[in-house]
Amino acid sequence: MHRVADRQLQPLLAAGPSYYALVGVLVALIGWGLYAYTRQLSEGLGVTGMNTPTYWGFYIVNFVFFVGLSAGGVFVASLVHAFNVQAFKSVARIAELLAISCLILAALFILLDLGKPERFYHLFIYGRLGSPLIWDVIVIAVYLLVGLAYGYFGARADLVRCMQALPRRRWLYRLLALGYTDASEAALRRDRRLLRGLAMVALPLAVTLHSVTAWILGLVKARPGWYSPLIAPLFVVSASVSGLALVIVVVVLSKRLLRLPIGARVVPQLGTILAFLIPVLGYFLFAELLTVTFAKEPAELHVFAEMMAGRYAIVFWVNLILGLLLPLALLVYPKTRTEAGIAVAAALVVLGVLAERWNIVIPSQFHRDLPYPPGSYALTWVEYSVVVGVYALGVLVFALLAKLFPLVELEDGGAEPGAGD
Amino acid sequence: MPRWGMVIDLDRCTACQACTVACIAENNQPVAGPEESRRGRDIFWNQVLAVVEGEYPRVTARFLPRPCMHCDEPPCVAVCPVMATYKRDDGLVVQDNERCIGCRYCMVACPYGVRYFNWRRPQHPTTENLNPDVPVRPLGVVEKCTFCIHRVDAAMARARQEGRPLRDGDVQTACQQTCTGSAIVFGDLDDPSSQVARLARDKRAFRLLEELGTRPRVIYLKEG
Repeated sequence: MHRVADRQLQPLLAAGPSYYALVGVLVALIGWGLYAYTRQLSEGLGVTGMNTPTYWGFYIVNFVFFVGLSAGGVFVASLVHAFNVQAFKSVARIAELLAISCLILAALFILLDLGKPERFYHLFIYGRLGSPLIWDVIVIAVYLLVGLAYGYFGARADLVRCMQALPRRRWLYRLLALGYTDASEAALRRDRRLLRGLAMVALPLAVTLHSVTAWILGLVKARPGWYSPLIAPLFVVSASVSGLALVIVVVVLSKRLLRLPIGARVVPQLGTILAFLIPVLGYFLFAELLTVTFAKEPAELHVFAEMMAGRYAIVFWVNLILGLLLPLALLVYPKTRTEAGIAVAAALVVLGVLAERWNIVIPSQFHRDLPYPPGSYALTWVEYSVVVGVYALGVLVFALLAKLFPLVELEDGGAEPGAGD
Repeated sequence: MPRWGMVIDLDRCTACQACTVACIAENNQPVAGPEESRRGRDIFWNQVLAVVEGEYPRVTARFLPRPCMHCDEPPCVAVCPVMATYKRDDGLVVQDNERCIGCRYCMVACPYGVRYFNWRRPQHPTTENLNPDVPVRPLGVVEKCTFCIHRVDAAMARARQEGRPLRDGDVQTACQQTCTGSAIVFGDLDDPSSQVARLARDKRAFRLLEELGTRPRVIYLKEG
């Protein structure tokens, strides 16, 4: 047992100069983002590009984006724990950690967007159950709890093993295990049973989460482009697509950089699922586009003209070509179906969905029903800095977790089929 | 309980924008300044919108004073996560700037664009001329037309004190008071003899974006 475990624990101990350099860069970016945010706190949201009528800007785009990204983790982890797909067992933990961190970043973006962040707690003490925003607060909170429980029961056995293998960090692993260090066969069986139960809850909860996030926009009548029954299923699909793509990117990166024992077939299999999901997203886009261009309802038409030929038309076309068509080609064409090719395709998909989120949130607000001057929006350095700072925070947390914690479930002696490169 | 409403006769409107200015002074609205104004950070609780149609020499301009519609089915109230905006029993849609968290969901939801955000620390040309009856809003909250709620409440209190029912004309909003063409009339829509109720029954009466089902309490009288 110890031989295999030791090999898997290697990444926890080794931290070369490039690791420290990465951490240094990330900390600097976070610091810069924090500085930008202090400017926003003291001078107000006027330091961003938001205005009348673009009331919601890049922060909300990112909120929606990160809620979506959290889907991939649930997707993969549920395949393992609920449907017992053993092939993805080695990446289930990475997926879970991604789900939890993306959701925390999403909540952070809401906080960053508030005009009165110090009143954040009003959401909890004055929360009005009729508001879709409160539905989202509730679902995100429940989801985070389930996600944490999920991560906990999935990792507890390994935490106990780490306690034995790395005595100097014993206190840390004991803390993470919440002091529950029973590693008997019966206790582990109970963990697995709880995991299966949680996985059953997590899937419908994920559908709820992405639908409710969509309904924040989709239930607002008089917002052409948002007000559509299609938006909730669209969000479920684009969340799955972007989330799965993020899992692939992170799995390939951690496999290469941390030399994690992840089977050679895992990434191609995840890539195949992604290749099946991308056309579904394209289908939604087409269905909406056809309806709007055929019916020619002026307000809808205005929003779509704004999106496809307006100031930010480039975002739409980049999404369509680089975010949907090119990655699909990379995933389908045999010569590019290598691990690197799949990772590139997945990265493009992630960026494409960010562009799609922009296209959903921003152009819709340029349309006004009454004769006001047309809307506009341009990002300022504060928004760029804050958003990059939050991204850096996400990467930093993941980099630290990778050193504290075995990202791949430890194996008990018996070799996993196809494990290792 | 009165059902407050407003009639704006577009035939009488001269687009002088006195209502906008009176409203700014009455309700302590901050002034954005030219720079921020270009960035779309103005605050006008009552704004006069202009539509210019046709080409020279056949140009027509239409004008539309736009206060808050105080809808009976207000989309802003439906979305507010903390009940910072709500509908009073007398129908006024009001904003609690102590509770507002500045999420701007109400602004996104309002089809009339009557809600304004304090993007910057509010600036007033002078502080000694502020209206003591109206609280000044802080940075980072949403604000909007209140149908001069302070005047409504003061008139109600006075009538109660004098032991008499409220009379038509007891409450005048600042925009109504200043309107050069007497285009704006405010009052109780439930009192059939009130001027506002009489005008609301006019054949020219229409409401903005009625098809959305918001049931606005501001009734316009068509030009012509």
